[in-house]
Amino acid sequence: MHSSDNSEMLMVRYQQGDFAAAAVLVERIGPRLHRFFVAQSMSRADADDLLQETWLRIHKVRHTYRSGEPALPWFYAIARHIRVDHYRKRIRAAAGERELEEKSKGASSASPEAGTVDELEALLAPLSLSQREVITMLKVEGMSLEEVARATSSTVGSVKQKVHRAYKKLRESIGAHPGRWKSGGPA
Amino acid sequence: MKDEEIDKVLKEAAQSAQYLDQSVLERIDDSIKTSMRPIRPLPPLRLIAAGLVLICVAVSLAGAAHAGFFGIAKMNLLERSLIFPALGLLACLAAVSFVGQMIPASRLRLSPSALLVLSSAALLAVFAVLFRDYHTDHFVPAGIACLLAGLLQAIPAGLLSWLMLRRGFAVNPVSAGLVAGTLAGLAGVGMLELHCPNFQAAHILVWHTAVVPVSAALGAALGWALSFRVRSDGR
Repeated sequence: MHSSDNSEMLMVRYQQGDFAAAAVLVERIGPRLHRFFVAQSMSRADADDLLQETWLRIHKVRHTYRSGEPALPWFYAIARHIRVDHYRKRIRAAAGERELEEKSKGASSASPEAGTVDELEALLAPLSLSQREVITMLKVEGMSLEEVARATSSTVGSVKQKVHRAYKKLRESIGAHPGRWKSGGPA
Repeated sequence: MKDEEIDKVLKEAAQSAQYLDQSVLERIDDSIKTSMRPIRPLPPLRLIAAGLVLICVAVSLAGAAHAGFFGIAKMNLLERSLIFPALGLLACLAAVSFVGQMIPASRLRLSPSALLVLSSAALLAVFAVLFRDYHTDHFVPAGIACLLAGLLQAIPAGLLSWLMLRRGFAVNPVSAGLVAGTLAGLAGVGMLELHCPNFQAAHILVWHTAVVPVSAALGAALGWALSFRVRSDGR
């Protein structure tokens, strides 16, 4: 049975107040959502906080999940909302526009050689945030185009376009450092 | 480099990372355990959408009943049979779209901006075909009166629609506000068509149709303000 099939049944049991089902979902979906946050150039501490915040929100709005609909995009849609809120809070907290630009430039141009940067983060570094989230959902988490479109509140065509552009950048980035990624990570 | 090779590199990069501390998951379990209880899921989408359309119809009728049914009384059969079904169809589309905005991960058939463009364009087309009186008497004063009347009618429609979907969760409050504003604006146009006896083409094309985009813009601004306030509160 496909794991997402179980997630739908577990969500229904979660809605019925079954804590065991909720715990299985936390165990199963939690690491995926955490990886989603980390892939958006977040620190581990931020990703941990956002994961907890996301689950509290999931718990609060669990009645909005509709039985029979795919559960995974529902989880990711809420995680994405929390992530966007987090960025906006950071924007407001930043001293000024210029400082923020410098930060985002720094994040998006993170060097793959940096010792503290994970392989996935380093690999996705050249991509924009929207491209990163689409690539993470589609290629890392194995979601379908339809599921990604649902999770990002966009159309399948728009997702395809983002993937195409992301692959173009990835091809250039990987091609610029031949051999770096072939052994499964940065040298 | 082929796409398949990039896929492989991505998979390998993802698999090699162990990110999450088990204690974080345990803390999540603990935090939700205390408030675990059965909840009532949202009713079926079609039922909510039908409720939203009914709200719009009721608000339009109530407004026209208060102001007088002068517009529909002056219309011929062709005008009635084109304008009101078109408004009904657009209200159905907007209602389904609003429900989708309030339920995370709903399938997006029409983007909020496309809905607004479609609604405005469809109304313009219907009005342009039906109304051929090109005089412009009291264009601005009469137009502003109609625009305000339509927007005032959109307020209760928007509020009641929001009340009906208050248990939903908008992952994008600005888009949800835009769609709710479009739906409420259509209710406002409905009231104007029932009430306004001014059949000058320019008046209807500009001022009646304008209710929809103005209401949508106000809805989007409200959605932005609400989400901004929620973030400021740190909730």
